[in-house]
Amino acid sequence: MPLNRDALWYKDAIIYQVHVRTFHDSNGDGIGDFQGLEQKLDYLQELGITALWLMPFFPSPLRDDGYDIADYYSVHPSYGSLEDFRKLLDSSHERGIRVIIEMVSNHTSDQHPWFQEARSSPDNPRRDWYVWSDTDSKYKGTRIIFLDTETSNWAWDPTSKAYYWHRFFSHQPDLNYDNPAVRDEMWNVMKFWLEMGVDAFRLDAVPYLVEREGTNCENLPETHQVLKELRRKLDEQFPGRMLLAEANQWPADLRPYFGDGDEFHMAFHFPLMPRMFMGLKLEDRKPITEILQQTPEIPASCQWSLFLRNHDELTLEMVTDMERDYMYDMYAESKKMRLNLGIRRRLAPLLSNDRRRIELMNGMLMSLPGTPIIYYGDEIGMGDNISLGDRNGVRTPMQWTGGWNSGFSAADPERLYAPLIQSPVYGYPAVNVFSQRESEHSLLHWMQRIIAVRRSTGVFGSGSIEFLYPANHRILAYLRRLGKETALVVNNLSSTAQAVELDLRRYKGNILIEMFGNNIFPRVGDLPYLLTMGPYQFYWFRLRRV
Amino acid sequence: MREMIIGELTQALHELARGFAHYLPRLIVMLILAFVGWVIAYVVKVVLRSILGLIKFDKLSENAGASQLLNKAALPPATEMASRFVFWVTWLGFVLLGVSVLGILGLQEQIARFFLFLPRLFVAMFIMFFGLLAASFFSRAALLAAVNASVPSPRVLSMAVRSIIIVFVLSIVFEELGLAEETMLVAFGIAFGALMLGLAIAFGIGGRDLARRFLERKFVREKKEENEDELSPL
Amino acid sequence: MDDGTFLTDDFLRQLINVGEVDILVGLPTHNNAKTIGSIVHAIQSGILHAFPRERAVIINADGGSRDGTPELVTGISIDDARPASNLNALRTLHSISTKYASSPEGGVALRTILAAAELLRAKACVVMSPDSTGIDSERLSTLLRPIYRDGFDLVTPIYRRHKFEGLLMTNLLYPMIRALYGVRIRESYTPEFAFSGRLGSQFLGQNGWSDGTGGTGVELRFTLAAITGGYRICQSFVGEKEHVERRAADLVPTLRQTVGVLFSALEADFPVWSSITGSQPVPTSGSDQEVLLEPMRVNRKRLREMFSTGVAELESVFQSILSPSTLAELQRIARLGEEDFQYSAELWVRTVYEFAASYQKSVINRDHIVQALAPLFRGRVCTFLNENRNASAHDVENNIEALCLEFERLKPDLLRMWKSRE
Repeated sequence: MPLNRDALWYKDAIIYQVHVRTFHDSNGDGIGDFQGLEQKLDYLQELGITALWLMPFFPSPLRDDGYDIADYYSVHPSYGSLEDFRKLLDSSHERGIRVIIEMVSNHTSDQHPWFQEARSSPDNPRRDWYVWSDTDSKYKGTRIIFLDTETSNWAWDPTSKAYYWHRFFSHQPDLNYDNPAVRDEMWNVMKFWLEMGVDAFRLDAVPYLVEREGTNCENLPETHQVLKELRRKLDEQFPGRMLLAEANQWPADLRPYFGDGDEFHMAFHFPLMPRMFMGLKLEDRKPITEILQQTPEIPASCQWSLFLRNHDELTLEMVTDMERDYMYDMYAESKKMRLNLGIRRRLAPLLSNDRRRIELMNGMLMSLPGTPIIYYGDEIGMGDNISLGDRNGVRTPMQWTGGWNSGFSAADPERLYAPLIQSPVYGYPAVNVFSQRESEHSLLHWMQRIIAVRRSTGVFGSGSIEFLYPANHRILAYLRRLGKETALVVNNLSSTAQAVELDLRRYKGNILIEMFGNNIFPRVGDLPYLLTMGPYQFYWFRLRRV
Repeated sequence: MREMIIGELTQALHELARGFAHYLPRLIVMLILAFVGWVIAYVVKVVLRSILGLIKFDKLSENAGASQLLNKAALPPATEMASRFVFWVTWLGFVLLGVSVLGILGLQEQIARFFLFLPRLFVAMFIMFFGLLAASFFSRAALLAAVNASVPSPRVLSMAVRSIIIVFVLSIVFEELGLAEETMLVAFGIAFGALMLGLAIAFGIGGRDLARRFLERKFVREKKEENEDELSPL
Repeated sequence: MDDGTFLTDDFLRQLINVGEVDILVGLPTHNNAKTIGSIVHAIQSGILHAFPRERAVIINADGGSRDGTPELVTGISIDDARPASNLNALRTLHSISTKYASSPEGGVALRTILAAAELLRAKACVVMSPDSTGIDSERLSTLLRPIYRDGFDLVTPIYRRHKFEGLLMTNLLYPMIRALYGVRIRESYTPEFAFSGRLGSQFLGQNGWSDGTGGTGVELRFTLAAITGGYRICQSFVGEKEHVERRAADLVPTLRQTVGVLFSALEADFPVWSSITGSQPVPTSGSDQEVLLEPMRVNRKRLREMFSTGVAELESVFQSILSPSTLAELQRIARLGEEDFQYSAELWVRTVYEFAASYQKSVINRDHIVQALAPLFRGRVCTFLNENRNASAHDVENNIEALCLEFERLKPDLLRMWKSRE
């Protein structure tokens, strides 16, 4: 299946996020690799995804799971060679799957040769590639992101006897984007990969590129300038490629990252995600509708990126204190589950392995405006292991079979990069791809089904959204419209059966066709449209006027 | 001559005997009716006494003020009175029925009229009784309302209400009994009208201030007296 | 449950949309547009502050307002269809309204609220008064917390009053209920109170909604139902009672709603109160507040005159109600001068008990019996005012306590009277 050549391919994409290390090990060293991933592309194609987002695979001391990069032009030997990656790229493209890779542009590892050079002497040509200071009092008031481990945004370097700026771990010094050389080099890096065939970049930590005294050093106009410049070059030399922004900000603050369609193509809608979980627990759509009401319009060529979970903790930065306390009490009773103002659990454990809730959340993910991202393993309902440090609990090996190492690797279990999930509920003998393939009503088959329905229409990816506000606040209902096509989505957020009356008078005369079974439902008349819904049930309807 | 007298006497005796024999069955029937009537009347009296006891008729009549009247007249209590009355009326009815059997002309007509009159008598007594009850109730209600509203001379008002109602009831009773109907109606009209006129004059002239205060309280929120705080009971 | 039939279709539909709730706030209204605004805002902030995570609803039972009161109440609902940017609310807060009649009837309003509470399976409910001009957000949580968190079934407020306010409560209702029912509930008839869903359902299912008293004084019947049903009761100090004035001229209707209701309840509750001796205190939460002591100018002379006039003019009525000795005593004190006038506690208790017994026997029309009590009550008020003119808060409390003990002491007399005329 050849690649869809549409320039706006990302609006209808289904993205699958995976770390090479976790997916499949082809050479028996206990660590997943490119070849292993390539071997599983058929599975991904069968699932129905159309884009693969690979987490950082660059050479790295791996002190931040690969987000501390030591060489931008190569791949980590554990995962294979550059050639292996090329082959993965080609194989993906053959299956109609695009590839998105990370571009950690804000900082490097302190092991990166650039930093090694920069710290060696104040006169070194690379000195200015990082942000140095004699004191640690510059840029006061800038918040610390990794609260659990860092106490300051400045770190003392004994070698060069100066402080260097780092918004993340202290071993990740920030690059200095005021230096044109840095900007040029970062473009060269991107160009290297674009020429190889990579389809898109997820730019990590973009709000923090530039610092200025007297500001909070986030979302500065200078940062946007840098990004616009990148985008311009991309459009000139590689049309049809995409830039995805990782910026954990309020929607209003995110808006500038789209520019006038001249900056990022896509950005993660971070604030929506915890509110989906909150709305589910409260059994009240208010948190969800409110955040989307506050979400500004974005240029027609741009797209939000939606997700339920990812490799990081479920972040609660963008909620109020009251909401955060509620989320902690509801979803993370044990303090061990909490990290950095977030909750480090996978989707299934967060939802108590309740199949109906998992389906409902995925249903919302696939029908709210934006491109959905599925975190690897969530399509089979994998569990987590909170006793593994940091956020490694949600980055355990993919569970393929109930057999040796769950089919992930032929190595001895002790050699695996991380232990497999063993619990009776989520352990690999119970939760794995093989047994779910055999079972007709498995979560895996259901995910395939819903992805297929989603892909059958462009209304979810590119359509507008209009909320209906039925008096029953447990029901989240909205209309998606694209051209002449209209879809009605109704979600019951409650654990109990509900009745709801929808005001569909404007669509009088339309017949509702339920999209999973393609059965017809009563026609819309003058009276409010009554629907009765089971616990956590949702409907997708196509409105059809015959 | 002696034979003629004896003959006449004998004839007279014979006629008497004949007449007697003619009337004797009827007389016997009359006596039987009287006796049966007595029995039935007695039964009715006992039954009525029980019923009245059950519905606490004595209490009601006490409320009506009838008991007090009876007491003053040294008469037995209301239940007893009512039962005895019914007894006598019932027995009298049977006796009259018996008398009518005798076939004495003229008397029958009167008897029939008596029986026709009975229902109206009962209705009148009924009206009287409940009228008294109502008079008692409303007069007491007026008394209480007047006392609580600090209206001067509440007892006078209460008596006035009672009188009006009793007069009204009496006029209806007389009308029902057919006694001097028109006269009673006119008399009632005059009395009632005069009473009303008197009250109006008294109210209008003498009770000007009172009327004003009364109306103010009804329709306008009463302002506190300058030197007084209002206490709320709850 | 047949009370579904008196809820309108529209209201039922709104209840369906609200769904199950944890907290229900009932607000009966009738033309309260002047005061209702601040009250509903206080309720809203009370809920947001004390129960931010709980599912809550405000039910407005309106008796045919024409000044837009219902709209003011429903206007404070928090929902996503009308985003209010300054509110920090986790959840939707429904505020719905129904017109239960075209003119106000207290009993029907409460019945509507109880029916809604039952349908919504509310755990804790509170009825607020639309006349509370001084309400703050604390009051709501003070009343609700014992129900929601501590498992009580009824919470009655204790208001901080002036020592001369609420004399019907302190001189009759409180001591009498205390003596007869054995529970020391300071304020048994209040416009605001909180109750558990359990108690509400039980009361709703009781007969008596369509009896002669109709809905009058239903709040008192509610308290009595809680007592006789063995429910857990507590009291909470809530601050001052700032309500739209009830004029002293409204004494007779007030007596009907309180004393009349109490007297008629005694009949049905006889098996309960006849076997109780003494009384138990009721748990009380919140900080104790002393009575207000500022001087009040009350026309005591007028009260005494009304008493004397009443005793004289209503002699024929009292003869049916009171015993000869009590009546004679009343007539004696009615003739006393201002300095010597004293309606002693013992005489007052005897009076009240004889009234109660006469009420039970229906010696005359029962409503007349209640009305006849009014002038006597005024006399008692006059004595109370005299005795406590310069009293401290402590002294006032002691005097009330002494009166309560008198009620308890003479309870056997009431029992005797009750049984004797049967």
